[in-house]
Amino acid sequence: MSSKPLPASHGFDSNMAGRRAECDGGGPTAVARFAARQEFAGQLTGEYVDHGDPPWRWYLMVELCRKPEGYAWDSVWCESGNLFLVDE
Amino acid sequence: MAKNPLHTKLCDMLGIEFPVIAFTHCKDVVNAVVNAGGFAVLGEAMHTPDEIAADIKWIRSRVGDKPFGIDLVLPASVPPTGDLAELKKKIPESHWNFWLDMKQRHSIPDPKGQVALHQWGGLNQEIARRQLDVLLEERVPVICSGLGNPGFIVKTAHERGIKVFGLVGKARQAKKEAEAGVDAIIAQGIDAAGHTGPIGTFSIVPECVAVAGDTPIIAAGGVTTGKHLAAALCLGAVGVWTGTLWLASRESDNDMIIKEKLINATSDDTVYSDCISGFPMRILKCVWTEEWAKDGAPKVLPAPYQMLLSADYIQAANDHRRPDLMTEAAGQGVRFITSLKPARQIVFDMVEEALAVFEDLTGVPAE
Repeated sequence: MSSKPLPASHGFDSNMAGRRAECDGGGPTAVARFAARQEFAGQLTGEYVDHGDPPWRWYLMVELCRKPEGYAWDSVWCESGNLFLVDE
Repeated sequence: MAKNPLHTKLCDMLGIEFPVIAFTHCKDVVNAVVNAGGFAVLGEAMHTPDEIAADIKWIRSRVGDKPFGIDLVLPASVPPTGDLAELKKKIPESHWNFWLDMKQRHSIPDPKGQVALHQWGGLNQEIARRQLDVLLEERVPVICSGLGNPGFIVKTAHERGIKVFGLVGKARQAKKEAEAGVDAIIAQGIDAAGHTGPIGTFSIVPECVAVAGDTPIIAAGGVTTGKHLAAALCLGAVGVWTGTLWLASRESDNDMIIKEKLINATSDDTVYSDCISGFPMRILKCVWTEEWAKDGAPKVLPAPYQMLLSADYIQAANDHRRPDLMTEAAGQGVRFITSLKPARQIVFDMVEEALAVFEDLTGVPAE
């Protein structure tokens, strides 16, 4: 496996900036080898990162009004395909 | 003679005989199920790209041109930072003390070696992307995403002749993945093993069928018998996704102690709890789950803190093979696993039972 970092390009999408959204999020858990779901709701900053090619786009969500209990951070990166704009 | 009710759109899409999908972490189960006429998906979320490439080669050497799938857990959300070592320092002393007291009362030994979780380091977008790139390079027949929306990879995958499946816990996710062009969607109910969505299988399956248009839906969650298979098809699914069923199969590399626990378990022996990882998940009851369910137990910590707290326990349980300590993710259908059978026999038993159901319903034998 190559240790060279994969291309990641940062950008700003003004169409998404300030939009309220929900994220059906989650990730893997090592202990049980299974996926785990987490739900977030908040506001998108418009900031995004594209990982690899074809681009895998992630948006930054802040001002979280819904997050898992005890979630330790003020923001979360959400994969674009798991985002749902609430004002649409 | 009636049309064979088990010959579904999924069979035509994959060129398989039976609409039964085995999700497993064991390559031998993949081999057995695929060669029995079903379809199998190997869970590789915790493996490196090199390990994944080696496993694909191994499977191909056994199944030839028959199709199989590889499942990755594409993350759908990622915190801004993810340093597990720093996080471990934030676990409250009261929780460490609770664990140490439990450890003493139940004579729980230390793990024999380094705790696997502590070497793991998490899964960020870059690692997941590298795993995915291996599947594209190897042109595996089917890529499955056990969590995040795989829509961004559909075009590239299709150009390489690869089909893409996504697993969802809500109808709106199914709609979005269908719009992204995935080839099939697995609708998973809360009856399932592990970390599932909040909706029951009997509701999530027809809900997803209703919103997914022409995209076929596969039912998951508590599916263990031919009756479940028949019911899933009646709900509009084109097949079933099964996991717990294979954990106690003869080919499974699970410890015999876990296999025996599964064979002896009923649905009451599973618990939907967040005490292992901080995420709600369905597992077999064990000392750890019973202790955290007691009055006076501290409040379960959120992920990933609770996962770090339970890591030593899980590792010690497996290293020392203590039946009272060991656990495994298991769905509510575990009651119907009553003996240690070869995977091939499990496939045939499920198919025969489902056909009998349709014969009973229609009074007409299948072709």
